[in-house]
Order: sequence, then structure tokens, then C-alpha cells
Amino acid sequence: MSRYFLKKLITLIILLFFVSLTVFSILFVLPGDPAQIILGLNASAETLANLRAELGLDQPFWTQYTDWIFGLIAGKSGNSINYGVPVTELIRSSLSVTGPMAVMAIFFAVMLAIPLGIYAATHHNRPGDVTVMFFSQLGLATPEFWLGILFILLFAVQWGIFPAGGFPGWDVSVWGSLKALILPAVALGAIRASILVRLTRSAMLDVLGEDYIRTAYAKGLKRRTVVYVHGLKNALVPVLTILGLQLGQLLAGAIIIENVYYLPGLGRLVFQAIGQRDLPVVREVVLFMAAAVVVVNYLVDFAYAAVDPRFKLQ
Amino acid sequence: MKKSILVLLTLLFCVSGTLVWAQTPARGGALVVCQPAEPPGLDPTANTAAAIDRVVYANIYEGLIKVSSSGEYVPGLATSWEISPDGKTYTFDLRKGVTFHNQEPFNAQVAKWNLERAAGEGTINPHPEYFRVIDRIEVPNDFKLVMTLKDVDALFIAHLAEGDAVMLPQKGHEEAKSTPIGTGPFKFSKWVRGDRVEMVRNEGYWNPELPYLDKVTFKFIGDASAQIAAIKAGDIDVIGYIAAPESAMSLAKDDRFKVYAGTTTAEVIMSTNNKVKPFDNKLVRQAMAYAIDRQAVIDLVMFGFGTPIGSHWSPSTPFYEDLTRQFAYNPEKAKALLAQAGYPDGFKATIKLPAIYSYSRRAGEVIADMFGKVGIELSIEIVEWGQWIERIFKKKEFELTMIGHVEAWDIGIYANPDYYFQYDSQLFRDAYAKALTAPTESEKARWFGECQRIIADDAVNGYLFSAPNLPVLKAAVMGWWENYPTVALDCTQVWLKK
Repeated sequence: MSRYFLKKLITLIILLFFVSLTVFSILFVLPGDPAQIILGLNASAETLANLRAELGLDQPFWTQYTDWIFGLIAGKSGNSINYGVPVTELIRSSLSVTGPMAVMAIFFAVMLAIPLGIYAATHHNRPGDVTVMFFSQLGLATPEFWLGILFILLFAVQWGIFPAGGFPGWDVSVWGSLKALILPAVALGAIRASILVRLTRSAMLDVLGEDYIRTAYAKGLKRRTVVYVHGLKNALVPVLTILGLQLGQLLAGAIIIENVYYLPGLGRLVFQAIGQRDLPVVREVVLFMAAAVVVVNYLVDFAYAAVDPRFKLQ
Repeated sequence: MKKSILVLLTLLFCVSGTLVWAQTPARGGALVVCQPAEPPGLDPTANTAAAIDRVVYANIYEGLIKVSSSGEYVPGLATSWEISPDGKTYTFDLRKGVTFHNQEPFNAQVAKWNLERAAGEGTINPHPEYFRVIDRIEVPNDFKLVMTLKDVDALFIAHLAEGDAVMLPQKGHEEAKSTPIGTGPFKFSKWVRGDRVEMVRNEGYWNPELPYLDKVTFKFIGDASAQIAAIKAGDIDVIGYIAAPESAMSLAKDDRFKVYAGTTTAEVIMSTNNKVKPFDNKLVRQAMAYAIDRQAVIDLVMFGFGTPIGSHWSPSTPFYEDLTRQFAYNPEKAKALLAQAGYPDGFKATIKLPAIYSYSRRAGEVIADMFGKVGIELSIEIVEWGQWIERIFKKKEFELTMIGHVEAWDIGIYANPDYYFQYDSQLFRDAYAKALTAPTESEKARWFGECQRIIADDAVNGYLFSAPNLPVLKAAVMGWWENYPTVALDCTQVWLKK
């Protein structure tokens, strides 16, 4: 077990090193001078030079890179050019939006997709199955942002039961914050549920055709026990894989939905930072996202081991 | 019977009472203002971004001089000022009893420190040249400031009224980017990054009557349809700056809202690279000026909101000259001029449009169509903002582009031959120098007018329209500015009808 952790930790460090080098190089050659973007079209040349020096942009590539990396290793996060606060603080505050939203979306997707997928598999090729498949097809074809706008028009503008967007903050109102995340989470979750429902169905169909299911029925087990204990547990592995990918993806930024609902989340933070060339923010957020995706995948590894003892963590 | 008369009288009294009340500003209430862009920091003395001034100017920070809603220069932290007959010495009387939000007192020493800081070595003020014209600053007493200029500067007062010249406290200025401290009617309270900036009433404001509101929140919603949904759902009270014109039209018909179609200081121009062929030829540029139907551009791009312009000067800025008739739409004349310039069959060119501004993208498409009719075939390239800054603005790798210049009094950019459109005219530079050193108002009018005429005649850029100010307000919001003579969303005198 501890060898497993050590191995994963080393992989993570190597990965982050390469990500940091890549993102730094890309931003380094990216056209668009942050100083000019900050100071605007009429700024004097002298002020531009002063600001470039203050931001360290006049230094050579390796100096800038090592300054940054050694700073990070020493636990010193860069300061956002625009906001003037450490990037870790920005990540923390935007994660308090994106994190719960991603978890809610996945929760909603699972609650919808697993029962429906099982239902469709056990009613294979009957009207129930066809109906579920029809709606999942519709869900797959629906763009996220469109569903988001539709929800706003219906629930915020027409009925006024949810806000049209924005986020009050957990310290201001827990209920208000939760309410602000419900529509975007459902919009995100519905699309992901469409994928999961098909996956659950096909995995269940595979498993239900196995010999041990026939054996289970033959030894007189109840249908429910066979489907949920013997069937579902074995069908969960591919579902968990996709679930992990989806959670990573949601954490790394539901940029479009965050823009539709103007939520101050991680996706919007990095999106704006790229547009305004707030390089310290882009660098560290991308690094964080990479780490988040990797860590979520490790969690999926644990989940494999939990549902299927044939998997060993090594 | 008696009773009913009494009821009637009471009712009448109440009605007339509310009518009178409707005119008197009511105190209290909170206002949520939406603006599309989140400001990159909250220090207007370190960054020219319009989004910063719109949040903090006159709300949190004040300068010696303010711009009023009608575009006049009115007392801010200075109560009055005098200019010596030679135009070089400015004597300011400062307001007494003013304190910053952190209780630091404001006085002549603080003002002197601010102005010297902006001009000093290592300054990160985008416009140190505004302040370098000051030769020396004397402080005869705590509330008097005497500035001697090196030369006459016709725009000195205008510059002192800009966001670049607001007053910061000596102790609390380091964190101005994230925690602004000023002398304004509102005190900064919170910035939820990516979402909103909140400010509350400054109980110690020097004018005890103001502000009327208890709280103002600036919310940042970039997407035009999300803005409309938010105001319809009641999440925001005001779309502060230029709502999408197509939605402004529909909201104007709704009783719950009102839409102001006022003016701003922004000129939307088709910037032209005056150094590349064929645009180095004045005849070609004049032909293009004839080929643009400005009213059609306004109708198609801005749904009719906006004012046509003929030069780089907004109608809301003093000394404006209407030059729109000089190159009135005339495609035949455009073709003739093109033939005269040696392009009887027209030519091909590329227009690069910044992706972040929808007006610019739309105007580019409309112009491409209009140019097609006189034989100029435009291909459109959409560029990301950072790319625009790098390739077009700094490296001048472009033929045509489209952009709004928001600063008032910015015609001086034409005096710099290295500016991205690369206009080089001694005639203009001389006229501009004369305008800057003009001692009287009539001389200023004469030379600023001359400046406008020279660039209009040279057709340096395609002058299209002055961008409209299109705020959408809930019907109860009173005292909002109808015109924006400076880059600001001043909430000092805004109040809510109950």
C-alpha cells in the first residue's frame, strides 16, 4: 500500500514538472504583452518598461521559470497581476464554487443514470428501454450552454424560483449559494447522465449474460439480489472509469456553464486570465487542474479496489 | 357623507403628498449594477482599463476635480481654482475636513504627494506625461495648492479630472489594487473575484447629504443574454454600460424598465495603417470614407443607437465640430477617387477584428459589404485581444482594423507617428501644439477644431460613430446619468423611488 502511494506520488511530481514546463513555455511565446494589456492603448513607453520590470517580464526564460518553480516549492504562490492577491487564494475561492457544483452534477448524474441504466438493461429492447435510450440520445445531442439558457428562461425569468446566475458566497448565504448552483449542476449533470446511462446499460447487458448470473438464478436467488449484487457490482468498473474522467473534467472547468450563469468558478477564472494575460494565474491554475485530474484518477483506482477485489493497488 | 368627504380629502392629500415625494430623492436601499468586464485591479492610477474607472471613479475615489453628468469640470476635492493670466499657475483651494476611508486626513501635502508620485521615477501611472508638465508644487497652507506648469496646457484641468489623477492615501495606497481606499461617497467592502465588487455608504463623506444609497454592488456579467435574463429575473437593477442594442430595443417597450440612449466619449473607428500600400495614398483613404454609409452602419450594428462622426472627436466633448458631411456617403465618388488613385478595379485587403468586441465584429462585416460595392474586396480575420495588442497595436501588422477609442481628449495620438495607425503630419502636430498652448477658450476652440478638420480631410481612419451609452434601468432607479461624458458609472446621486 505505501509502495503504491510512493509510486503514485513520484508519477505526480514528474507529471507536474512536465506540465509546468509546457504551460510556462506556451505562455512565454504567446503573443500579447501583459504590460500593454494592463496599461491600455495610450500608455507611455516609460511606464510600460517600468511595469514590465516590476512583473519580471524583462528577465530571460530560465530565470523567470526557476523563480516561479522555486517559489512554488518554497510554498510561495505568485501574485495575480489583475487581482493583486496570491493565486492560491483565487483557486481556493473559485474552488468553493466549482467543487460543490461538480460534485452536485456528478451526484445528480449518478442518481439519474444508474437506476435508468439498470432499468433499460433489464427491459432490453422493450418500450421502457427504447424510451430511456431515446432521451439519452437527446441528452447527448444537447449542448450544455443551450440547456443552461433554457433553464434560466424557465426557472429564473418565467417562474422566478431560482436566480438567473451569480453566486452570493457560502459565508453570505448557504441556502442562496446552494440554490445558485442547482441549475448549473443539473444542466451539467443531465448531459453527463446521458453518457452514463448508456454505459451502465451496456455494461449491465454484458454482465447479465455471464454464466455466473445464470448460476445465481439457478441457485434460487431473488432477481433483485442477482441484478443489484452480482450484476451491478461487476458492471460498475467501466462506469467508474468514465465517472472519474467526468469529475476531473468538471473540476478542470465547466467554462461555458460558468459563463452562462456567471459563476466565479475555476473555469471562468482561467478563461478571463488568459484573455487578460494574467500569466501567474494561468500557470498555477493549469498546474492545479492537472494535479486535480490525476488525484481524481487515483481515487477511481481506490474505488476499483473497493468494488472488485481482483484489483490490487500496487 | 361627512366621512366619505374626509376619506376623499385624505386620499387626495396622500396622492399629492406622494407626487411631491417622487421628486425628492429618498435615502436608503441597495443597488446592483451590472457591467460586462471585471476590472483588472481597482487602482485607476495604475491601469487605464475603462472597467476600473466605471467601478471606482467618483464612487470610491475622487480627484481634485470631477466631471459632472453634463460634462462640466466641477469641484471635487478642490472647492475652487484659479488660473493665472499667463495660463501657467494654478491655485487650488482644497476642501476642509475630508478624510480617507481609513481615517487618514486629506490635505494639500497628500495631494502634492499624489501628483509627484504619478510623475516620479519608476511610476506605473499610464500617463506620467499628464503630470510632468508640472514644474513645481507649493503648499502655502494645508488647504492651498499652487502648481506652476512648465508650459501652458489646455488639457491640464481635463487631465486632473481623469481617473489617473484621483487621490490615494499615503499609508493605504499599496493595496489599492485589491483594497481601494479613497475619499468618495462609498467605501469599498468586498471583492468576490470573478463575481462582484461591493461598496457601502461612507458615513463620513464630506457632503452629509450624499450618497442616497446604502450599498452599491457591481456585478460582472459578460454574456449579453445573461445580462438581460438577470435584469428580467430581478437579480440586478441596472445594466450600467451598453446593453446589447437588440435587447435594449425590446426592454425599452417594457414598463418595468427604462433605457437611456445617451452619448459617450468613445469613437468607433476603422483604423487604417497609413504606412502600407495602398492606404498610404490619401485618395484611397478618402475613397473609403465616401464608401461608408455611417447611418447604415449605426442602424445595422447598433440598431440605430449611436451618433455618426466625421473625425476623431465625440459630440459630447467640448469644441466638437460636425464634419460628417465632408465625406457623405457617395459610392460613385468613391469609385472615381479609386480610379484616380490608380485602382480602377479596386483592390483586395484584410480587416482584422478583435474578437472580444461584438460591435467591432459586426461593423467589420457591414463595412466589408459596403466596400464590396466600390470594388474593394475585404477579407475578414478575427483576432483574439492579446493577439490584437501584439500584432496590430505593437507590431503594426495590419491593413485595416476596427476599434473603439474610449478616452476623451485623445486626439493627441495623431501627433505620434509611431502610434499603430502611423499617421505622420507636421501640419497636424503644429495645430495640436497650438491647441495645447492656447491661452483662451476661443483659441482652444479654433485649434482643436483645426485638429479635427486636418485628420478628417486626410481621412486618416474611417470615422464611424460615437458609441451610445445604453444603460437599462429598473423604473425605480433615479438619478442615473443619461450621457457619459467621462468613463464612469457615478452612483453618488442615484436613488431608488419607493
